[in-house]
Amino acid sequence: MRLRLLAAAAALSCVAPLVPARADASLEYAVKAAYLPKFIPFITWPDSAFASPATPVTICVLGDDPFGGKLEQAAGGTKSGERAIVVRRLAEPDPSASCQLIFLGAGDPAVAQGTLDAMKGRPVVTVTDSGLKAHGVISFLIDANHVRFDIDDAAAAQGGLVISSKLLSLAHAVKQRGQP
Amino acid sequence: MNRPPKNKGWSPSVIGALAAAAILLAAGVLMAVYQEQLYSSQQIKSVREQAQILAASAAAAILFDDRRAAQEYVDALRVNPELQAAAVYGGDGRLMAGFARGSRLPPLLTVAGTGFSDGYVDIAVPASQNGARAGMVLLRAFTEPAERRYARYAGLILLVTMGALVIAVLSFAQAQLSRRAQQLASVNARLHEEMEERRKTEEALRQSHKMEAIGQLSGGIAHDFNNLIMIVKGNLRLLKRKLGAEGDAADTYISSADEALDRAARLTQRILAFSRRQPLTPQRVNLSALAQGLSQLIRHSVGERVEITMRLNGAWSTLCDINQMENVILNLAINARDAMPDGGRLMIETRDVTLTQPPPEVESQSFVPGDYASLAVIDTGTGMPEDVRQRAVDPFFTTKPQGKGTGLGLSMTFGFVRQSGGYLIIESKPGEGTAITMLMPRDPEAA
Repeated sequence: MRLRLLAAAAALSCVAPLVPARADASLEYAVKAAYLPKFIPFITWPDSAFASPATPVTICVLGDDPFGGKLEQAAGGTKSGERAIVVRRLAEPDPSASCQLIFLGAGDPAVAQGTLDAMKGRPVVTVTDSGLKAHGVISFLIDANHVRFDIDDAAAAQGGLVISSKLLSLAHAVKQRGQP
Repeated sequence: MNRPPKNKGWSPSVIGALAAAAILLAAGVLMAVYQEQLYSSQQIKSVREQAQILAASAAAAILFDDRRAAQEYVDALRVNPELQAAAVYGGDGRLMAGFARGSRLPPLLTVAGTGFSDGYVDIAVPASQNGARAGMVLLRAFTEPAERRYARYAGLILLVTMGALVIAVLSFAQAQLSRRAQQLASVNARLHEEMEERRKTEEALRQSHKMEAIGQLSGGIAHDFNNLIMIVKGNLRLLKRKLGAEGDAADTYISSADEALDRAARLTQRILAFSRRQPLTPQRVNLSALAQGLSQLIRHSVGERVEITMRLNGAWSTLCDINQMENVILNLAINARDAMPDGGRLMIETRDVTLTQPPPEVESQSFVPGDYASLAVIDTGTGMPEDVRQRAVDPFFTTKPQGKGTGLGLSMTFGFVRQSGGYLIIESKPGEGTAITMLMPRDPEAA
């Protein structure tokens, strides 16, 4: 275990393979921070989700930020197609904020649930942290010490989002389109 | 006979075969080079495509560092026996997943490209998703070692060359053989021709020897016989004078004997004419009168089984040798008799004809229009088939058994008639009979 952790830490600059037990929460969130921008190239938003073709993809973090500076670090210089990827922090749910991806931390389940309800049917990828009962389009989970994620493709379809099958194939579980 | 072969060099078919072999060889080499290039470029293209497919499918696994998924993608390529190795490298260039058959994978890979090594080719392509760079994918494909490829091509070229050589040798032999066969065939044909000529010449020589012998013999006999007739005739005259007036009673017998002697003398004259002991001179002849005079002789010659009809309507005279003409008529009558072994009718017909068109089978350039005295000998005998009829006047051509005919009768007739400025026309149908007509030019002063 020690060795694997070391290896994981070494590879963290680019990819974060392995994850720590609860004791090392910072490593877990480093992996999650690395994952968030990487979801973006596999997701297609409807054109209406952006103001213009040059508008960057915005990752919003609602409430407490568990990532520290790691999210900016991971997103920095990354691109999806022609769009840059930027990170915004929201103290409260703000429907006017043009977010394409919202990370909902485990800190306040009520806010998270409210945001999920508000975003239902909109072209926004909601990503819920592993501690939450409510699940967004993408929901993190810890499986055998690895950070994994479930995908609710049915919810994505409601918001007019298309998630690449490549990403679906990596998911821990997928709720298929057309399922209730 | 021993004509040298026309072409001492190589025949065109051999040159053609060698040229074809050379062209085949050149084409084979070109094809091999082309195939070789095509093969390697196609192989590289195919491997590159596979690498791009792997890169596209493994991009997510690389980005999310899912080694298991990456290994699954790579392992799917194990079924391709052309691949020696396949590997997926992360964004930092480190080896994430892969397999290798008998070679080592590089632990670090960051640069895309194509690299050739002994026995394999490495193709590295970047993996990315929607512009986001993920990592690298490496495929290593087996390539056949160059020496083995060239050995294969050399074997092929050797086979082609040998095949071409075999074709060349075979066609050379074939050309020789057919040339030999042609020479042999032409020599054989010439031999047959010469044999036939020789046979004909020998036949002609034999016939002419026979004719000569008969002529000499009959001529000699006729000459002596003629002298004997003259002696008898002289003595008869002396006897008549000696008997004087008392001999009136015996006068009838003496005259009868004298007439018989005259006939005998004419016969010897004819024999002498046949043996050419007597110079032949053309005289004015009325063919009707001539035929009438010959009727008795003809009757004796043809025998009782043949019924003779004379239809002598010709009034015009012609200029020819009387003795020869008599011979001809007698010959024709005898021919007619021979054509009617079981009896039949023989008609001798004379007519006056005026020709404005050449008679059948007379060339127009040798035809002289005018008046002709015609004499025809017509029988109801066996007749002649067309091929025999056409050859009837050929010298020594005869259908009679050996020793019976000279084959000269009709040819002498033809020669005599043509020499006298006339035409000989032979008409015949098998089973119906034969008509031989002589058209002799009318003697202009005889009118």
